[in-house]
Amino acid sequence: MTTYLEFAVLGLGLASVYVGLSTGLLLVYRSTGIINFAQGAMGMWGVYVFTTLHDDGVLVLPIGSLTLGDEMAMAPAILIGLVNAVVLGVLAHYLVFRPVRHAPDLAQVVVSIGLMVLLQALAVIRFGPNNIPVESIFPREELTVLGADVAVRELSMCLVMLVLAALVWAYLRFTYAGAATRAASENERGAVLMGFAPDRLALVAMVMGAVVSTVGVMFGASLTGLSPANYTLMVVPALAALLVARLESVGIAVLASVLLGVFQSELSLIATKPWWPVWAKSGLDQVVPFVVIMVILFVLGGRMPSRGSLQSVRLPDVAVPRFRLVPTLVLLGVTAAALVVANDTYRFGLTSSLIITLLALSYVVITGYLGQISLAQSAFAGAAGFTLAKLTAQWDMPFPLAIVLSAAVAALLGMAVALPAFRIRGVQLAIVTIAAALAIERFVFGNYSLTPPTGNPIAAPQLFGIDFAIREGRDLARLEFSFMVLAVVTLVILAFVRIARGDTGRAFLAVRANERAAASAGIDVRRTKLIGFGLSAFIAGVAGCLLGYSHGQLSAESFSVVVGLQVLAMAYLGGITSFGGAIVAGMLGPLGLVYTALHQWFDMGDYYALITGIGLIVTAILNPSGIAGQTRMQIAWVREHLGHGEEPPTSGPPDTGEPAPSSGRTGQEVAGRV
Amino acid sequence: MSDAPRSEGGLVARDLTVRYGGVVANEGVTIEVRPGQVVGLIGPNGAGKTTFVDAVTGFTACEGSIHLDGRRIDDLAPHRRKAAGLTRTWQSGELFGNLTVRENLLVSARSISFGSLFADVFKPHKATEAGVEKALEVVGLRGVADVLARDLTLGQQKLVGVARALAGRCSLVLLDEPAAGLDSNESLEFGERVREIAADGPGVLLIDHDMSLVMSVSDVVYVLEFGKIIFSGTPEDARTDPAVVAAYLGVPMEAADA
Repeated sequence: MTTYLEFAVLGLGLASVYVGLSTGLLLVYRSTGIINFAQGAMGMWGVYVFTTLHDDGVLVLPIGSLTLGDEMAMAPAILIGLVNAVVLGVLAHYLVFRPVRHAPDLAQVVVSIGLMVLLQALAVIRFGPNNIPVESIFPREELTVLGADVAVRELSMCLVMLVLAALVWAYLRFTYAGAATRAASENERGAVLMGFAPDRLALVAMVMGAVVSTVGVMFGASLTGLSPANYTLMVVPALAALLVARLESVGIAVLASVLLGVFQSELSLIATKPWWPVWAKSGLDQVVPFVVIMVILFVLGGRMPSRGSLQSVRLPDVAVPRFRLVPTLVLLGVTAAALVVANDTYRFGLTSSLIITLLALSYVVITGYLGQISLAQSAFAGAAGFTLAKLTAQWDMPFPLAIVLSAAVAALLGMAVALPAFRIRGVQLAIVTIAAALAIERFVFGNYSLTPPTGNPIAAPQLFGIDFAIREGRDLARLEFSFMVLAVVTLVILAFVRIARGDTGRAFLAVRANERAAASAGIDVRRTKLIGFGLSAFIAGVAGCLLGYSHGQLSAESFSVVVGLQVLAMAYLGGITSFGGAIVAGMLGPLGLVYTALHQWFDMGDYYALITGIGLIVTAILNPSGIAGQTRMQIAWVREHLGHGEEPPTSGPPDTGEPAPSSGRTGQEVAGRV
Repeated sequence: MSDAPRSEGGLVARDLTVRYGGVVANEGVTIEVRPGQVVGLIGPNGAGKTTFVDAVTGFTACEGSIHLDGRRIDDLAPHRRKAAGLTRTWQSGELFGNLTVRENLLVSARSISFGSLFADVFKPHKATEAGVEKALEVVGLRGVADVLARDLTLGQQKLVGVARALAGRCSLVLLDEPAAGLDSNESLEFGERVREIAADGPGVLLIDHDMSLVMSVSDVVYVLEFGKIIFSGTPEDARTDPAVVAAYLGVPMEAADA
């Protein structure tokens, strides 16, 4: 029994991080209505600054650094770390969140993910990817309570966090500004009319949130060490606590955070018992938040508050794709020629781009067409990839069939993730899907009893006696493999074009536009979402299989959540509502052509993620329809000004080339039908 | 009106009661609409007209029974009621603004399933069908069939809503304030369209503030006040019924029209 008490107290260390992050999230949500996925990353920066000052006496800035003597004492180092958190909060407010305060949910999710990717990348560049130790401000002592040796350090940390959370609660409850913050979160225009300044309140909340989160991360890191990946994703369990508190109550968020931390600690104790199944040991820390989120959502159901619940995801228009033979053949010819003439490095880059195009296309289906935010696409790809490893290596299943079956497994998983989408949408769905993706990544992909650490080899694909393996001897990117990928990607895109033009695509767009009206027009909204998630996960699954073939073997890192987020970033950059956007995303995506070029020419591979994050934020703020959408509009503008002698199109090119009555969605009207 | 045999066609909504928390929005409302009939439902603002439409079409929970063509439908989800032939328009339009007019109608005319994915890929349907073209014809929107719904005028958008309700299988249509936003000429024209729709087979329940429209096209009129039916009968009788007159600002109906 005493062991359980000791572990409960140890869990308070983790709980401190959760309290810091969930309190920060709540403050920001209450004042701006934005769920800040970058809260963990924001909390991390100040701690890095503090620990490098304290250890080396170096003040590391985003660019450059100052040497301030040998080692700095604890107190001033912490103070400077917190000042950094304040500055970060101010910058985040003015440069990132303020510009999108009236933007649709999706844009807000995307900018906060952009900030998260950016800060993580910057931390890797400035402080390195490895786990570094952080000194604790509390002594490592033990206290005997009820016969148990409980850790003073964890107790003290949790106490400090409780005091900070109480201050936040008091700010929201008792101060004039807090009351105004509450009012602003309920009704911003109303708050303005009452003479409050929501903008300044948002700034204050962002800064306070950053500081509280930084303290939480500082405590947590003194126990576990600090690494960029680690604390960036710590936001997910904190989001679970936030949902338990129904995005409202500081007290409940704190209570949930503490219970979550303690429960995880106890679970790690129980998992060492002999009767605990070996396969269920890995990734428990991510599974627990996911289960909590699911239970909460099903218990609370539709009672979760949401701002502007009508039309919560406004998205750029969709241009219904058409199959045109000549451009398709030209594009295929150019790609094939490029594959033939390229050297190994660039051929691999272009092949990767083709594969990423598919992954981005899965976002186009789920977000662009169906209007649902899913952050679990990398998990779908991974599910298919690992299934492929089993099917090919253990059961010798032949190549095309193995892809179809593996992708079907991903589709089933996608439909399972769609179940919460029956009840929730928008940002909350984003939270559920990222939690699901993280749970799957850690519990399944990173689980050594399911996926051995020695690697999951995938047998090379063969068809009609042709070997499509990616490597052979010194040839590291064989042309046969690239052509196989080109063929598969082309087939999937062509199928997508037909579905997007067909009854299914139309039903997706109807659900995206207005679920209530869709139901009154006879659409089974739930079934449509199942179909959409299934289709999207299937496409992601095909991408996962191709990725598997191209690596030859898989590990948990092959399909990390962060890679999925980067591809989402690229899909959004390219234009989330068209397959053209997916192609742009493929070219820009991780390990793709642009990445390869950056690496080759400038040796800037490390800066790739950083540029991704910045690009994402700028796109979401300036240009929600993405590069492909922008190009489409520019083409339309040029056509209009060249004078086609028609009604001026409002936003896109009229389809003069085609007599069929169904025209491009952005087109105004086919001339002569009035 | 008293004891409707279930085998008859049309809509029979019996004793519908809708509560929002402590507020009773509809109380024991019974309304029948026969095939080919135009039935008007009028009442002051807040009387519970839209609540009734929401209850019948499944968008709000209610007590009571609803039969369509003899089949009980009150335990069905909204999209299943639509599949059974019960369609509606929305006061606020609620079109799919990002789709063209024709596509709005196609959504209503076709249902999708997992099989649709394969049909779309291997054997795509045509981009229109007879029911859709006919519905466009009825409301006179052929000319703007390929325009995005949100680029139309408000009056046209209302008509798209009506056409969408008629595009698929439709044995009864509930029109929730379809003439709001139309000028008096358009309104007159719209009245003729409503008669044409009913002459074609389906029953029509027409809810509108435009009293002259409702009175001129309806076979039967129901008057709703504070969630209860206070009158049912012919439009002529409605004009002189004391309860109805009292409900409408205490002035006779002819005066209220003007």
